[in-house]
Amino acid sequence: MKYVDEYRDADLGRALSGEILSLVEPGRHYKFMEVCGGHTHSIYKYGVDDLLPANVELVHGPGCPVCVIPMGRVDDGIALAHEEGVIFTCFGDMMRVPGSEGSLLEANAAGADIRMVYSPLDALRIAKQNPDREVVFFAIGFETTAPSTALTLKRARAEGVPNFSVMCSHVTIVPPLRALLESPDLRLDGFVGPGHVATVVGARPFEFIPADYGKPIVVAGFEPLDILHAITMILRQLNENRCEVENQYSRVVPYEGNQRALEVMAEVFELRPHFEWRGLGFISHSGLKLSEAYADLDAEKRFSVPGVRVADPKACQCGEVLKGVIKPWECKVFGTACTPERPIGTCMVSSEGACAAYYNYGRFAREREVV
Amino acid sequence: MTVVRVDDDRRLALCADETGARHTVETALVEPVSAGDRILVHAGTAIAALAPDQSDERTATA
Repeated sequence: MKYVDEYRDADLGRALSGEILSLVEPGRHYKFMEVCGGHTHSIYKYGVDDLLPANVELVHGPGCPVCVIPMGRVDDGIALAHEEGVIFTCFGDMMRVPGSEGSLLEANAAGADIRMVYSPLDALRIAKQNPDREVVFFAIGFETTAPSTALTLKRARAEGVPNFSVMCSHVTIVPPLRALLESPDLRLDGFVGPGHVATVVGARPFEFIPADYGKPIVVAGFEPLDILHAITMILRQLNENRCEVENQYSRVVPYEGNQRALEVMAEVFELRPHFEWRGLGFISHSGLKLSEAYADLDAEKRFSVPGVRVADPKACQCGEVLKGVIKPWECKVFGTACTPERPIGTCMVSSEGACAAYYNYGRFAREREVV
Repeated sequence: MTVVRVDDDRRLALCADETGARHTVETALVEPVSAGDRILVHAGTAIAALAPDQSDERTATA
């Protein structure tokens, strides 16, 4: 298939693997962070890490939309779902994220009307089909997903759907990256940049990484050869003493982003002063809320939302995993008390979560033998 | 996904994914699109269009 097969070619993969081997300096340990959960998923699905020399380590970053949602936010969603007459809609992954007293899936079993949707447009359709009910969409995700929510809100306004509202938990990628780069317990040599976020925001917003922190970043696609190619590009920058933003995924990422998407986001959203991230705590200007012009479609204004802050479970080390400080299998509950069927932490819930990626593709068994 | 049919008035397109399943997709961010175009869809919205002969070397301005 065009755009897929050519990026999964085994011979090309072996050639890139050999090229990476020729580019690394023996004795030096390289630590690169793949920012996006989609990359983490591809790396373990296709065994990309097995094609890397032992001294090239991939560290998993915070770019999994479901993984960064704190427990308190899930509790808020469940409270909203229990409101009289409400149909609560969300993406499938979000249904299984544990709150302090269970997940949305469990709330659904207990009688709340919670429905899985593939897009905010599906939620709007449910609202139109149920004019006597209030339909709330739980909007999560980075800049990749936010334009979809923004367009749906504009559509709801244009089509006059009064019973539709959004509980906005969208986040932005730059503030947590800056927080990670400021963190003293993480030493990184470079970044594999988030390809689909960059499709919307462009590669330009990542210029602060080389400019302020002296680290190279290569925006990359999600096929195995894309990731291997991005690693060769980072290594070349290091070997040539260059430090810049490069775009490996130019078949869909314009350097300046998608201007129409940026415009619609600017119209519909504004930055929250601060937003709580699972494991990372409060980060300034990292979350989005609906702008004043769309305040009437804001579920948090239409309904009473508890807004309580809940500490993560003590046993769960998602925070350290999201910061790349520990590997998933180093968590005390990985694969025992915490599994994809009964997750304790968010990283075990989503297919983009590092823990679920390790667990589902059986990578943890080998790692444990090494330990 | 591949565009199957376009509804210009509603700014929506019927699209088929690689398994042939049909989806309704917002096209406002990548217009104009026409049947046969390949688009990158996220959460029901097309966020990028792929030109048929697009390659990695091309500096994407589409």
